Amino acid sequence: MLKIKTLIVGLLKKIAHFFHNIYCYFKSLRIKLEQKERVSKREELIITLSAIGIAFVLSGIFIALNGVNPFVALWKVIVSALGSPYGISETLVKAIPLIFTGLAVAIALNSKLWNIGAEGQLFFGATLATAFIIYGPVLPKPLEITVLIALGAIGGALWAGIPAILKIKFKMNEVISTLLLNYVAINIADYFLFGPWKGKDNFPYTPEFPPEAKFSRIGFGRVHAGLILALVLVVLLYILIYHTKTGYKLRMTGSSLKAAKYAGINIKKMMFMVFLLSGALAGLAGVSQICGIEYKLHQHISTGYGYTGIIVAWLARTNPFIIVIFAIFLSILLKGADSLQIAMRLPASVGVVMQALILFAILGSELFKNYNVKLIRGK
Amino acid sequence: MSEIKNNSNLVLMKNISKSFYGNKVNTDVEFTLEKGEIHALLGENGAGKTTLMNMLTGVYFPDDGEIYFKGKKLNFKFPGNALQIGIGMVHQRFSLVGNLTVLENLILGHPDNKFVINIPEKKKLIKTYMDQFNFQIDMDAIVGELPIGVRQKVEILKMLVREVDVLIVDEPTTVLTKQEADNLMEILKSIAKTGKGIIFITHKMSEVFQIADKITVLRKGLKIATVDKNDTNPRKLAKMMVGKESEITFERPKVETKPGVVKIQNLFVNSDKGILAVNDLSFELAGGEIIGIAGVSGNGQVELADALTGNRDVIRGKILFKDDDITNDTPVKRIDKGVSYVPGDRIHVGVAGNQSVWENIIMKVYRLPRFKQGILLNNKKLKEYAEKIIKKYNIFLPSINLPALLLSGGNLQKLIIGREMERDCDLYVFVYPTRGLDVGATEFVRNAILQLRNQGKAVILISGDFDEIFGLSDRIAVMYEGNFTGIFDNGVHSLEEIGLMMSGCSEEQAVKEMSNA
Repeated sequence: MLKIKTLIVGLLKKIAHFFHNIYCYFKSLRIKLEQKERVSKREELIITLSAIGIAFVLSGIFIALNGVNPFVALWKVIVSALGSPYGISETLVKAIPLIFTGLAVAIALNSKLWNIGAEGQLFFGATLATAFIIYGPVLPKPLEITVLIALGAIGGALWAGIPAILKIKFKMNEVISTLLLNYVAINIADYFLFGPWKGKDNFPYTPEFPPEAKFSRIGFGRVHAGLILALVLVVLLYILIYHTKTGYKLRMTGSSLKAAKYAGINIKKMMFMVFLLSGALAGLAGVSQICGIEYKLHQHISTGYGYTGIIVAWLARTNPFIIVIFAIFLSILLKGADSLQIAMRLPASVGVVMQALILFAILGSELFKNYNVKLIRGK
Repeated sequence: MSEIKNNSNLVLMKNISKSFYGNKVNTDVEFTLEKGEIHALLGENGAGKTTLMNMLTGVYFPDDGEIYFKGKKLNFKFPGNALQIGIGMVHQRFSLVGNLTVLENLILGHPDNKFVINIPEKKKLIKTYMDQFNFQIDMDAIVGELPIGVRQKVEILKMLVREVDVLIVDEPTTVLTKQEADNLMEILKSIAKTGKGIIFITHKMSEVFQIADKITVLRKGLKIATVDKNDTNPRKLAKMMVGKESEITFERPKVETKPGVVKIQNLFVNSDKGILAVNDLSFELAGGEIIGIAGVSGNGQVELADALTGNRDVIRGKILFKDDDITNDTPVKRIDKGVSYVPGDRIHVGVAGNQSVWENIIMKVYRLPRFKQGILLNNKKLKEYAEKIIKKYNIFLPSINLPALLLSGGNLQKLIIGREMERDCDLYVFVYPTRGLDVGATEFVRNAILQLRNQGKAVILISGDFDEIFGLSDRIAVMYEGNFTGIFDNGVHSLEEIGLMMSGCSEEQAVKEMSNA
């Protein structure tokens, strides 16, 4: 009896000792940070891709905890988003608003301004365009569409103009003002949806738009002309940023306010312009949603496209062409998450969790862009 | 002879090598520091002085080589480690919290701090340090409101309070006036007397002889020599430092002046804090003339330059440029009218650091019709223009797409001056144009300024360097609290008299004072 007892005690001691050793090993690990002089484009790409990879691994763990094999889930995502013409077209449909909002956030980010309000600008642009459809005359289709696009852009720009003025005149932080104005814009839309524009069956959505107000399909599933508009804007923005005087001023202002002022650039005017442009792009996302897909205004015209646009912009940074790539990448996830929900009974929040993990990983990867990080054993 | 075995070695750095992206910044460098020694680390910009010291303080890790401190090999875990074991560095950019008081800054993060800090006791403790080393600082002053010279003292005091054995000061006098610098040297000397080792990074010869016991010269990352102060002279050191002997002589040929290019009438300008910085200032400047403005930093010189170039609003008064009232013109209007500004803050104001070199060179010409192509910019032509300037002004860089902030101080200033000279303006305003530059770049800048004068341009030179003021100016103005205490032809007054004017004496008072002495 005594023998067994000492044996067990000895064994326990050994186990404790073993874990203590492991603990000591990890405790002795130290992280060394060394500032980097600069990062090459290639290194930056590798870091970004690794961050996405890590986000995927973490998402996999989350999915596994829900009792689903993450590899199967990943396969399901890819197949559902890219495995059939229908899947691809639906993925593109989701990519369209993301290109707009991605461009909107990125152009502001380019000038070191944070537009967290793309969601609100999207709604306000959509609301303004809807107002014209409801109260305005029905014009011939090309004219009607042009007016709606213009109104969407103006609506978004107006909504972004408020935080712009607050920032320029009163130095209010635009992160807070743009974010909070999202709720206001959504509530304004709600007011009309639950009030004057309420549908015949008392549900909060407008009647279906007349055919003149609908974007044409381009002959591939539900993909609509909004895609063409988005791609044209990508090219135009690229030219604007890199090949015009305004773009030069914009880049200078984004790089250093003091230097831009010294160079004779009216930085307040530039900031104001960037805000309006950013808002207009987000407003277009709204028009493209109501006129291209939904054909009516309701509460769910955006599934957080304004916020997902922030991730797109962070991933792609300043180049408009790369925004298209990452907009499609995120729309694959959005589409995939939808089918996971249906096919594998995963909670709807899987998609949101994945997005959040990607954003965290990308933000965390900033450390690796600015520092050499080494793990060493110290005393 | 072997220094390495000497027991009094506080610091011993052996065969240190470090490179960044393939560029060797330090190659096989040896360095020793003894107790009570002031050891100057001399070298041009980019010679690897700061990098070497950053390795001693654990900011960087050497690729190769070993560092010993008090005979023990160093293996830092994080930069704060160095301070814990007694190696403190005062950087060119201070690490003080502007919103806190001097006292709060001094005890911030101090290892002896308990959960509750006994403020009166700390005050008493710090007072003993202040008395010992002859500091006079108001402990309750807000650091952000103190002049830069005082802030530097706070930074040094912070190191002393932490009982460091090795104090590294990185080019401490670049931001100081002569008097402030002298005062700093005295303090450093008294610190060394208590047995602490001091490493003094500099590229100013006069300081080396004023303060150092030993001098180590670095050039292009290599240690050239370590010498005793008494065994050398400035000429020899200059030779080691630059590889060639440099002679600073300026010729100012007589040029025909065009009077009245700039007329400033009763100018009032506020500082950032809303305090009157330029106070009822009037003067005139001719084309082909350099006016050197001397003064203790913070007496309104920078505000004056900003106001002249449109970067700061004028409260009252007039600025006439070629008889055109430009007082309320925007910066861009003044750029077009021919006002050029070489700002003191090269890296933040002179260029947009993250933008490429070529984009920074075209900063003031991109709007010109000749660079237009329809509604677009002709990037090809703009790049050609940038390349022309790079060639003409000998700016060394691997690619015109390099972000401007990666240029060394000298190359950056060449870029800015090249950009401005190429625009052919009538008024040039220079603010501390050679601050922090090495001998070669300094010579380039000074020659450029003279060249402008000889071409008949009006030049305003704001500087803290007397060699520069005396060497270049046709007239000298001394600025004190927003106005000139004297404005006179170069050569009329001695350095001592100007020093008195800088501290507020009028011209007559200064002359009287000096003749009494």
